[in-house]
Amino acid sequence: MLTQRGFVVVFAGVLLLTSGFSFANWYLTVIGVYLLVGLVVTLPLFALTANVAGLEVERRIDKAKVFSGDFLQVRVKITNKSRRNFDFIEVHDAYPETWILAIGENFLASRIEPGRSMTFSYILQARMRGRYILGPTNVIIRDRLGLHYYTRSLEAPTEILVYPTWKDVRRLEALGKQRQLGLMFGAHRTKVVGMGTEFAGFREYMVGDPFRLIDWKTSAKRGEMVVKQFEMEKNVQIICMVDSSGSMGNGYPENTKLEYAIRAAVLLTHMGLERKDLVGTCVFSDVVHAYVPPSALPNHMYDVLDALARAEPHGWSNFEAAIEYVTARTRKRTFFIWMTDLEESPAPLLNAMKTLVANGHKAMVISPFGPWFEAPVGQFGPVEKVLAEAVQEELWERRSKIARALSRFGISVVNVGPEDFLPTIIQQYTKIKQKGAALL
Amino acid sequence: MKVVTWVLRILSTITFAYMCYLVYNIMDVNGVWGWSAPYDFVVTVFRLLSFIFFLISTMIIYGFAFILLGPTPATNLVVWLYNTVVLRMWYMQPYGVSEPVTNINEMFANLNANLLNIIGILQDNTFLFLYFLCAGIGVALFLQTLVRMEHKYVGGAFISIQAILIIAAFRHLTLPNYETYPTNFITFLTGSLQILALVSFAYLEISYQMIYSYSVGKPVEDREETLKKQLLALRQATRKQDAIERGEKIRTTAMGRSTGATAFSFLREAIERKIVGSQEGLENLDAIADVRRLQIYIDELLTSDPNARDELTAKASAPSGSYIIGSTILGSAIRFILVVTVSFLLMSPQVLLAPFNLPPGILNSVELNQPEIVLLFLVPILLLFPFAALLISWFSKRDVEEETRISKEAEAERKRRKKEEERKKKEAERARRARKKRKKSEEEKDEWDRVLEEMYKQ
Repeated sequence: MLTQRGFVVVFAGVLLLTSGFSFANWYLTVIGVYLLVGLVVTLPLFALTANVAGLEVERRIDKAKVFSGDFLQVRVKITNKSRRNFDFIEVHDAYPETWILAIGENFLASRIEPGRSMTFSYILQARMRGRYILGPTNVIIRDRLGLHYYTRSLEAPTEILVYPTWKDVRRLEALGKQRQLGLMFGAHRTKVVGMGTEFAGFREYMVGDPFRLIDWKTSAKRGEMVVKQFEMEKNVQIICMVDSSGSMGNGYPENTKLEYAIRAAVLLTHMGLERKDLVGTCVFSDVVHAYVPPSALPNHMYDVLDALARAEPHGWSNFEAAIEYVTARTRKRTFFIWMTDLEESPAPLLNAMKTLVANGHKAMVISPFGPWFEAPVGQFGPVEKVLAEAVQEELWERRSKIARALSRFGISVVNVGPEDFLPTIIQQYTKIKQKGAALL
Repeated sequence: MKVVTWVLRILSTITFAYMCYLVYNIMDVNGVWGWSAPYDFVVTVFRLLSFIFFLISTMIIYGFAFILLGPTPATNLVVWLYNTVVLRMWYMQPYGVSEPVTNINEMFANLNANLLNIIGILQDNTFLFLYFLCAGIGVALFLQTLVRMEHKYVGGAFISIQAILIIAAFRHLTLPNYETYPTNFITFLTGSLQILALVSFAYLEISYQMIYSYSVGKPVEDREETLKKQLLALRQATRKQDAIERGEKIRTTAMGRSTGATAFSFLREAIERKIVGSQEGLENLDAIADVRRLQIYIDELLTSDPNARDELTAKASAPSGSYIIGSTILGSAIRFILVVTVSFLLMSPQVLLAPFNLPPGILNSVELNQPEIVLLFLVPILLLFPFAALLISWFSKRDVEEETRISKEAEAERKRRKKEEERKKKEAERARRARKKRKKSEEEKDEWDRVLEEMYKQ
């Protein structure tokens, strides 16, 4: 292929040649011919040497799974497997558009001798959660004078899974450390009076109470029979139902409803694991994309992160299928936290909730309210403002209706915006713990 | 690499200077280098423009004056205006006028008689000016080449200098030429025009080699430089932020800020968001944390991996200077010999036609001695080279499709998962359709109200 500068040579050659013909001048003809011949004379030789198939590209990364915002070193090694020199080779390694090139450069231009290799590396910052592919590596081989080139795109894809951001967890931990209240700040382990070893108090003796529980000293003091009560610390089981339907993808990039829901799920799982609660996660839309059952295993957090990292907003919300899938795999009483924008038809949602309650579970809905995640009303013109407010009112009314309907099953709906999504999840978790909902 | 580039830079300058000298000599024979030519051209153009301006003004004034005052005062007014405005204030006279005007009609008659002469002067001056212009552009582009090392400046300088000869040929000036095209290679090589042709070609060749030598080593050098700047900017940003957190006052220099900003996009973005180097920035914990974490990451990387710095700068990929020198000399020599030989053969139809025993009527025809005959062999033979290259690349299987290396198990798993997902989707869609069908059959009512009513009925 001819480069731009090759075309300049062709232009100059043709100009001189035609001038030579027009003015019957041999000098102009000769120099024109020199240029044109000079352009193509070494082309077969270049084609022979520039065998792109002789190049091998190997890409190495230090981690295949990273958190959003983490840094990653990418090493690219180009080996010349052929027996010829590549006089000028340009290598461009592609990386996802949303990522940031933090240090170094993702391209290299040099020459490479037979059997030799060249290595370069650069550091990227993974910006958004998801599954990404590094590559392809584009190789451009040019001749010495830069008149011809060959290109090749070497796929060599490297898959990287970017977990949701960990910054919320870090912030929560930093907050806890600052207040020096430890991890248990704001959340109390649910206590159940009955079995256990910790003394809880006294109560009046009732027929059937074991004699060994009677506290004789206190009974003598009070003049009536009292028994000692003990309490036991119990944990709760929560399943976080993350709706990944298409409508959840609305909002500013990186700040969509789904992104917030995912961040909330990460935070909830982390808090649960810290407090020895069992927190599971289900990502669903029209099908169940991933389900991580509640667990306290050391790798549980990574399983949840893995499932959440792969979530993509598409399809519609099939609440019934999701609840059927999850309840079939959940034997113990569980508290379900739905994170959905409630923009689907209400009948399936109500049916799903019925099934859930019928199975003895409890639930609540944390619902990101669409208009709060989109452009602020202040940015609109007068007409758009009126329309936006009308739409908002309509949506709000629907939401109120569904909230009323759900309250019949004892399910509360909390409407959230981008600012209060995460605080709400912390607050709700604390409440669950205090109430002792869905004790194991 | 720098030494090689400098050597080639000097060679390029020498060849360019020699090419210019040869062109100067050729044109000097024709007496075109009158140093007053640019001034004469400017003056000519200016006087012509003055005339056009004067003509238009006269017409307009005449028109208005005729309507308002009648024919005689209009002539006087124009004469007065010309003498006052043009002669006193402009100091330039239109063609055909050398003194203050007393009669407009006389002036126009005079101009009319000398019009062809004026155009002739303008043409001569224009061509003289063009030689200077081309020379000036050529030299300017050549100087740009030495600094910027870009092919477009080399090509521009070459074309500009050759354009002088093309224009001269158009003006039928005396240029180096063959009386009849030589059939002997030695005669071909020793012809008067060959020196200029070879020097011109050598200038192009050497300049392109110089750019190659520069560009093959430069990226690695640039990379190292960029990395240094990036690391420095990062460290400065971290220190600055630490100082702010400690409550110390920091001195922000424009230099420091610009260095950081141009160093790399990551820090630039942070600065644009006014994160780094400000008290408010402290509130944005994420951005500050990002800069710090990058610093920690880099520190750890550089201490744990001794090759990390070399890999980031791609130091090992820098080519050796000796190879560049050797290959430049050898490559250029081969190209030179090939170009001259092949060109001679292509331009000498007699040499190529000799084996065919053509009749003397054809061999001695006038057409065979015209430059256009070059096309007879030039076009088909030139096209042979790209065709040969195409064949070679085809045989060497350059465009081998990269196959994604997926194991059989992974492929089977992927298919199974896809099938499962499709099945689930179909089922869900069927259920949804059934619900919709049910809904349609019922009366038109807000779906939410209906569902709620149903719910409360239960």
